[in-house]
Amino acid sequence: MAKKSYFNALTELPANIWQSIFRNPLPSSDLGRSQTSFTNFFLHIHPVKVNKHTVKPWFTMGLGLMTFFLFVILIVTGVLLMFYYVPSTEQAYNRMLDLRSSVAFGTFLRNMHRWAAHGMVAAVFLHMCRVFFTGSYKKPREFNWVLGVGLFLLTLFSSFTGYLLPWDQLAFWAITVGTAIAGYAPVFGKEIQFLLLGDTTVGQEALLRFYVLHIAVLPLVMTMMIAIHFWRIRKDGGLSRPEEADAPSRPQSDSLDTWPTELDVASAQPALAAQVVAVPAIEKKRYGIQGLVRGPFTKVGNVPDNSVFSWPNLFMAELFVFVVTVAGVIVVSLLFNAPLEEPVNIAHPPNPAKAPWYFLGLQEMVSYSAFWGGVGIPAIEVLILMLVPYLDRNTKGVGRWFAKERLLANTLFLIFVIVNIGLIIIGTFFRGPNWEFVSPW
Amino acid sequence: MRLALAIASFVILIVHGLVFYNQFFHKWERHQTAYFDQARAMAKSDSERAALEGRSPRIEQIIVTAFGGQHQVDRCTTCHIGSDDPRFKDHAQPLRSHPFSEELGDRMVNGKWERRHKFSDFGCTVCHDGQGRGLETFDAHGEDHYWPSPMLGYVTQNWRGDFKPKLKDKALMQANCAQCHTEEGFKNAPLVAKGRQLFFEKNCYGCHKIEGLSAGTLGPDLGEVGKKFKLDYLWESIVEPRANSATSFMPKFGLNDEETKALVVFLKSRRGINFSETSLDRYRASLNKEKQEAPIGTAAETAPKVDVAAGGSLIALGERLINDRSCLACHKLGNRDGGIAPDLSFEGLLKDEKWTMDHFRDPRSRVTDSIMPTFNFPETEYQAMTAYLMNLKTPPSLVDPSGMYSSLCARCHGDLGDGKGMIAVYLDPYPRDLTKAGFMSSKSDERLMNSIKNGVAGTSMPAWGRVLNDDQIRGVLDHIRKNYVKEPVRQIKARQVPDTNPVASDAASVKRGEQIFLQRCTGCHGKKADGKGPNSVDMLPRPRNLRNADFVNSTNDRRMFESILYGVQGTAMPPWLDYGLTQKDVGDLVNYLRNQSVRDGKR
Repeated sequence: MAKKSYFNALTELPANIWQSIFRNPLPSSDLGRSQTSFTNFFLHIHPVKVNKHTVKPWFTMGLGLMTFFLFVILIVTGVLLMFYYVPSTEQAYNRMLDLRSSVAFGTFLRNMHRWAAHGMVAAVFLHMCRVFFTGSYKKPREFNWVLGVGLFLLTLFSSFTGYLLPWDQLAFWAITVGTAIAGYAPVFGKEIQFLLLGDTTVGQEALLRFYVLHIAVLPLVMTMMIAIHFWRIRKDGGLSRPEEADAPSRPQSDSLDTWPTELDVASAQPALAAQVVAVPAIEKKRYGIQGLVRGPFTKVGNVPDNSVFSWPNLFMAELFVFVVTVAGVIVVSLLFNAPLEEPVNIAHPPNPAKAPWYFLGLQEMVSYSAFWGGVGIPAIEVLILMLVPYLDRNTKGVGRWFAKERLLANTLFLIFVIVNIGLIIIGTFFRGPNWEFVSPW
Repeated sequence: MRLALAIASFVILIVHGLVFYNQFFHKWERHQTAYFDQARAMAKSDSERAALEGRSPRIEQIIVTAFGGQHQVDRCTTCHIGSDDPRFKDHAQPLRSHPFSEELGDRMVNGKWERRHKFSDFGCTVCHDGQGRGLETFDAHGEDHYWPSPMLGYVTQNWRGDFKPKLKDKALMQANCAQCHTEEGFKNAPLVAKGRQLFFEKNCYGCHKIEGLSAGTLGPDLGEVGKKFKLDYLWESIVEPRANSATSFMPKFGLNDEETKALVVFLKSRRGINFSETSLDRYRASLNKEKQEAPIGTAAETAPKVDVAAGGSLIALGERLINDRSCLACHKLGNRDGGIAPDLSFEGLLKDEKWTMDHFRDPRSRVTDSIMPTFNFPETEYQAMTAYLMNLKTPPSLVDPSGMYSSLCARCHGDLGDGKGMIAVYLDPYPRDLTKAGFMSSKSDERLMNSIKNGVAGTSMPAWGRVLNDDQIRGVLDHIRKNYVKEPVRQIKARQVPDTNPVASDAASVKRGEQIFLQRCTGCHGKKADGKGPNSVDMLPRPRNLRNADFVNSTNDRRMFESILYGVQGTAMPPWLDYGLTQKDVGDLVNYLRNQSVRDGKR
């Protein structure tokens, strides 16, 4: 008997370990789906059920998540790169050469970090556009928009501080140009520049400061802010959606027919399918309330409503965004090498010396007026961006792309986007030596 | 959704496979395996074979500590693993062994070669350049065009097609020999020695500073030029000085390829502090140098000190100095012609002693925008050279106006009178384009004859009245009008121009003049009035340098008023009368310009 129980215990060991980690078996009932979401650290930030509107792929296009995943990729590759990097003007460039030649996966890591960084700047901007064009910053999500603008600026600053670290000509002169722009600020301009550089020119002090900002300060601040950003999404009642999305739907339409049917669990797991089809049966189930939340919260058990279970609908979508993001980054990293130019030569500036691409719009404006282009207009832009949810008092058109009710706001923002992208394109492709107009072809 | 997920996951898998493949199957491993295989076949004893069995591919590196401030890491032998194995002397690269040669200092001892420059001490990049840390050919050989020191004489990156073949030459490596073998005329680096000689022969030293060699200030310091620039840039800068800097006034010296190569190698060897000296040596040398009167390495070091009283030999000494000092690398004298600067053949007729001495001491005190270097020779030598030049009083043969034009004027104004003479590009202001009818036909004969006769102060136009009489001058002018201008003198409408400035020159007037100047004139004449405004680059003739005190002082008020109010025909100067300037405004402007000249004159 004892022997048998030992043997049983042994055969059950894997299952026990699995269960001790994940607490639940793979869910096959609605209760299981709820519990899986509750009990997993990484999943519990999600609600158990989300509105169907939230998982529509073309509503968010996964841009915010993509930004977050890029951030995760950056943290992982960044930590690995830190093992090889020394923030010293003597050694930094040689470390780059070593990364490229003799460190295992060195080139690949650097490529991933570089392209993910550029990608994050782009993704965070697109995410902001999405939020604006769908009117998602409106009450009660005003402050989350402000946080988002803050995160956008932090992303730019992170990328900017990282730009200097390879200590090549590209880095040196881009930072020289970038910090010079900061120097145009009135009253405190020179002091800000000095604070950033620790010196009057880009040198060892600047390298160390940028390193510390890049690897410690900014990631910590960003992690905190991302956490708050996510937490507020839940507290603000999930993603924005049009009012009609919250209306209780007819029972038969609750059979996961829009996007969830693509998952088509039926063919794979008949048992599960039976559960899914038997949705009206949920009526009998009752779930405890997990917290007291104000506002339109995805209601549990208040059926039939227009929501679906996060597991698997939401999580599958998130996994998909993750896989696509990773695939994109690694494919790009395999195809294109991160640039590494000449070692720093202070006596020999390239002509033109260009800032990183996302600041070329600024540099383009600086070429017209140092103060207005470099400080005045950008400061006003940022201020207006931050104040957008408080200035725009129109309550209509939430949760829909290019809602007619928001024609004016959307047009204004579109102009803002086009002008800024246009400036960046001019600065990147149409500016040659002495910042004169050149044709790229 | 599932399909997309599957595809994306598959892509990730494939890419990981590729990355891992790249990571674990290196080219250099294959080279090393090939080396081990062949070495095993060649091995003569069991112990040798056993030693080879014990070796497996790994990154080989030499850490060089003896050269330069930083440690150098050379991983070249990872691929070139047979470089020090004489048995591989006939193999294909990368396994071929490095050749031995007497020139490199290698010696034959007991029938075996011994290296003078042991790889374990010197590494590879000390001589060859390239990127020691690289493990791919592209990186290691410096083929990446961002890498500042590609393998000397082997790798030409993305350089200009017409330079590439000239810069693929092992001899170019001599530049690196000179990092340690700094002695003048080191026989195994003949190109460096020749380049150094050319540096003085062609008067490069007059404009360029190289610490320890020369002290010129007109051109860029070349002391670290070998560290800063690649071969193609050096070559281009010598044969086409304007290619890299549009405003360069460095002459084209017309060197042949051999000479250019020697100069390039010499310049490439200038890398600041070289391996054979310390900064302390440097400092000591600079202390010693200050005591010397003449730049090191110039003829002055060896020239005999002259007793000025012995006037007879002064002229002969001057002649020798003019020859030794390579004046004729630029100037013309008799049959020899550098093709860059004015003819000195009859300088004694054109200039006086004071002018010449002043000009020697500081050329720009006489011709404001001259490119002639200040050579800092000892005063006694200036006197000797002046004495010699003043002795050149043989006038050129002057038969007819056309002959006079070609022997006196064509060097600057060009055979066609278009202001594009042989040396025109080296003069500032440019010689007048005599074919511009707008200018020529709007100026009276008196004004033009006056310019020929008395020269134009502050420019390179000499006073030909010292060589030609009035009839001859009129003959030349007629020749010019007939053959080049080809348009009769226009009758100019009466102009209202005062003979002298009616506006009193006081501080208020100067201030007003400055305001007007800043509003109206800076686009072409520049904020400093030096003729270098932003629009000036597209204009010929160039806007006048109004800080040229000699010129401004020698130009009377009448001409100033006329030029400003009615414009200068044939140039970009517009008639400001039409743009609302009054006589009073012009008076203020003239006062402002004259006031600046007074200040410049005092300087």
